[in-house]
Amino acid sequence: MAFFQVNFFSPSLCFNTDICVFVPTPNSDEILNHKKSDYFKDGAKFQTLYLLHGAYGDYTDWFRLTGIERYAQEHKLAVVMPSASNSFYQNMYKGSAYLTYLLEELPEFVTKLFPLSKKRENTFVAGLSMGGYGALRLAFQKPEQFAACATLSGAVDIVAVKRDTDKGTIDGPFCWNAIFENTEPEGTQADIFELIKRDKEAGLPLPKVFQSCGTEDFIYPINVEGKKAFEKAGIDLTYEEHPGIHDWDYWDTHIRRVLDWLPLNNDSVEEG
Amino acid sequence: MAHIDCSFYSTSLKKNAHVIVFIPTVSADDYLEERDVDYYKEEKRFPVLYLLHGSYGDCMDWSRFTGIERYAQEKGIAVIMPSGENSSYVNMEAGEAYLTYITRELPEFMCKMFPLSKERKDTYIAGLSMGGYGTYRCALERPGYYGYAASLSGALDRNVLESADMPHMKKMPRSYVNAVALEHNSDNQLEKLLEKRLSEKAELPKLYMACGTEDPITPSSEAFYKKAKELGVEITYEEYPGVHDWNFWDSHIKDVLRWLP
Repeated sequence: MAFFQVNFFSPSLCFNTDICVFVPTPNSDEILNHKKSDYFKDGAKFQTLYLLHGAYGDYTDWFRLTGIERYAQEHKLAVVMPSASNSFYQNMYKGSAYLTYLLEELPEFVTKLFPLSKKRENTFVAGLSMGGYGALRLAFQKPEQFAACATLSGAVDIVAVKRDTDKGTIDGPFCWNAIFENTEPEGTQADIFELIKRDKEAGLPLPKVFQSCGTEDFIYPINVEGKKAFEKAGIDLTYEEHPGIHDWDYWDTHIRRVLDWLPLNNDSVEEG
Repeated sequence: MAHIDCSFYSTSLKKNAHVIVFIPTVSADDYLEERDVDYYKEEKRFPVLYLLHGSYGDCMDWSRFTGIERYAQEKGIAVIMPSGENSSYVNMEAGEAYLTYITRELPEFMCKMFPLSKERKDTYIAGLSMGGYGTYRCALERPGYYGYAASLSGALDRNVLESADMPHMKKMPRSYVNAVALEHNSDNQLEKLLEKRLSEKAELPKLYMACGTEDPITPSSEAFYKKAKELGVEITYEEYPGVHDWNFWDSHIKDVLRWLP
C-alpha cells in the first residue's frame, strides 16, 4: 500500500481539510513471500472504499486504531478516509457543508488525483457509529454513485438517535441546533428510511447494505429496529450481530467482514 | 495545492520511502477571486519538478523552509520531494540505490499515482547543495528523460569540494562517506559523466545553476561550469550575493522557476 496524507483547500467546506488515502502498491510482504504483485501497472485503477469515522473522531481514526491498511492490501482495494467533524455528515444549518463535500467534491478530487475507478460497481462506502449513518446517507443520497454500503454499530436511525440524545439516554457531541434548522429529521432526507422511500419513488438503483452491530452495544436496539425497517423497505440487506460493544475491537474485527462481503475482484480494474 | 505526504514500499531501496508531493488544486485565493482554473479538466497532466534536498536533510526540507508550495501553485506545476539521506543520490556502494530510485522507480510510481505529464519537456529536476549534485547526476544518468535540470549551490566538482572550508564536509561521519563511496564509480564525477554523454551524442537537458558569492561551495560549482563551457555545453550560470542557507534557496528557487518554460 502507498499511504497518502493529503491536505488541501476544500471550496465546499471553505477551509483546508485532511484526508488519508491508501492505494494498493506492491509491499515488502508480497515481494518476500512471492505473492501476487503485478496489479500496479499502467492504466490500472482500483476499486475504492470511502471509510467514515464516528463522532469525536477524524480521518486518522481508521488507520491508527485498526489494521485497515493490511486488510485492504489483501483485497487490492483503495481506501479514502475523510474528516467530517461532529456534523453527522450533514450540510449543517450553522456550520459546514459536509454532505456536499463528501458527495460532490471529494470523489471528483480523489479520482482526479489518484488512480481510482469512477464506476458505480467499484465504489463503496462504509463507516462506524455516526459514520455508519454517514455511509447510508451518502449511498442513498446518491445511489447512482455507490454499489454498496456498510454500517458498523451505526446510527442507522437518526430520528431515534436524536430522540435518545435529547433524552440523555445516549451520549453524543451533536449540536442539533447547528446541524438542523429547528426541525426534527423525521420525514426529511436526513432520515435514511425517508430517503430510501424517495429513491424508490424516483426509480433509482438501490445500493446493497451490510449492517453489523454488537449485541452489548448501546446502539444495538436502534440497529434491531433499523434491520426491520430495511427489510420492510425491500433493501438487499446482509445483517450480522455478534457479541461486542461500541469499540475498536468490534470495528477492527468486523471491517474485515465488510471487505469479505463487498463485491471485490481483488485486483486492479479498468485496464488501458 | 494539495500537500500530499506519501509513504510506500520502494523496491529499489528495499525499505519504505517517504515523499512530499504538491499537486495544483483550487486554492483559497482561486476560490475567493473566482479565478477560472482548470485543475480538474479531464486528461490534464501537470509538468513536474523533482526537487532534491541537501545533506543532513530530508523530503520535508523544501516545504518547511521555503515558499515552494506558493511558487509552484502560481506556475501550475507539480513538485515531488523525495528523501535521499546523505547519499548524494548515487547508488551507494554499501547502502541504498538512490540513483535507481530517483531516476527510475520514483518517476514511474508518481506517474502511475498522479496526473503528471510524461513528456520530457515537462520533466524538471532541481536541488540544493548535495541535491544540486544529485540533480546533475540524475539528469546525466537519464538525459533523455529530463528536459531541464537546475542546481542551486551545488557540490558539483567533488575534487574542488574536498578543499572547501565547510562544516558540511568535516562533520559527515567517515563511515557514511565510505558507504557512499562516490570515488568508486567514475560516473559519479559529473565532468567525466558529461564527457561520456557528449561522446555518446546524447541530447542533454537544459542546464541552469546559481551560487552565492559568499558561499564556500561556489568554487566547486564554478569548476564544473568551466568544464562544461570548455566542452561546449549550453549552461546558464547566475551568481547572487548570498551564503549557503535557506534565504538563498528560497529566493533563487524562484529564479529556477522563472528559468523553466
